[in-house]
Amino acid sequence: MRPSLLLQVAPTSGVPIYRQLLDQVKAHVAGGHLAAGEFLPSVRQLAEQLQINPMTVSRAYSLLEEQGIVELVRGQGMRVLPPGPAANGKAREQAILPLLQHVAEKARQLSLSPQQILDRLKPLLKEESHD
Amino acid sequence: MTESAVIIAGLCKSYRRHPVLKRLSWTVPAGSVVGLLGKNGAGKTTLIKCALGLLHPESGHSLIFSESAWSLDAATKARIGYVPQTAGLYAWMRIKQLIAYTAAFYPRWNDKLVQSLLEQWELSADQRIGRLSVGTQQKLGIILALGHEPDLLVLDEPAASLDPAARRDFLKAVLSVAADGTRTVLFSTHITSDLERVADRVALLKDGHIAHDGPLDSLKDSVKRWHVSAAAPLPADFVVPGAVRSHVEGTEALLTIRDGTPGVLREVEQRYGAAINVEDLSLEDIFLELHDDRVS
Repeated sequence: MRPSLLLQVAPTSGVPIYRQLLDQVKAHVAGGHLAAGEFLPSVRQLAEQLQINPMTVSRAYSLLEEQGIVELVRGQGMRVLPPGPAANGKAREQAILPLLQHVAEKARQLSLSPQQILDRLKPLLKEESHD
Repeated sequence: MTESAVIIAGLCKSYRRHPVLKRLSWTVPAGSVVGLLGKNGAGKTTLIKCALGLLHPESGHSLIFSESAWSLDAATKARIGYVPQTAGLYAWMRIKQLIAYTAAFYPRWNDKLVQSLLEQWELSADQRIGRLSVGTQQKLGIILALGHEPDLLVLDEPAASLDPAARRDFLKAVLSVAADGTRTVLFSTHITSDLERVADRVALLKDGHIAHDGPLDSLKDSVKRWHVSAAAPLPADFVVPGAVRSHVEGTEALLTIRDGTPGVLREVEQRYGAAINVEDLSLEDIFLELHDDRVS
């Protein structure tokens, strides 16, 4: 899939748009959907495609650059860097943490025990791994 | 240091001894897209008119590009585009006549842009203005304000009478103005979702002054809702630093927290044996929470 099509935003979400972009690029890099050497869409292109303020996109991009996820190549744009040695597994775990927190909260609300949750989760994870 | 598009200081304005603006001060940085939020009747239109020098305040002043709003010279006026809430367009004119008439006032006029917007928004140049719907007139008002490519574009409730498709088109037009990062857009609205896509700053008008002003991202980053469930009933005097609003019931508490730190969170967790779930809030939620705050 083209890099620009991997990114989506939900403007009315409580998560600021720049952070949505940041998290998504990181997740795609960690998950291998964005390979080292690939270029992110230009600020203008992505802002137009997602219909958001270009400044929001540049903010996300400069944070990605600061965090060593991408590098600025003069005249060409933002290039994805190879992931750091320890970063890969950690980054992927970080990416799923918010969802797990959400599950934990729901479990508390429904008074479901950790074991019940794990019992439900395990078969789902196995099904996926056959793909 | 960037130039400010608008600087307002100590603005007071009342209607029949009912104060609307109370020593209001506010600065709009050049190159930003600012959404001015406020409830109906909060005084958004009054503020905009005073800022542009269209309405005389009792005291205080407004500077536009460092010039007094009351005595702008022609060159500075030509840098401003303004779309009032109800566009007072000449009903007897046809669209093309009104465009030619408006263009004549400005030294710089981008006819190509105007024609492409007309086409995009499905307006035909021969239509008589009096026959257009309110929404279509509003679209035309926006096109006319964009025609001279103003450095400062001010829109009063621009999306109020637009349908969702037209609103999307309108936001696209605003974004194209904002794209180069040098032009300033200020628009008032009570529809927060319009703002979330395009605005990089939000100002909240409340009780006659600007109750909040800052980048939209930092606002979303700083205001959160905490769901606290403690091991034992929470004390009656349960307080958390930074709480804008709190609702405590037994072992549960619902808090709206501003600038909450992980340190404070851990402390509350430990002291009350509590589990805390932090929820992100949409701009609409934040808007409502800040409106009801009891600490101001």
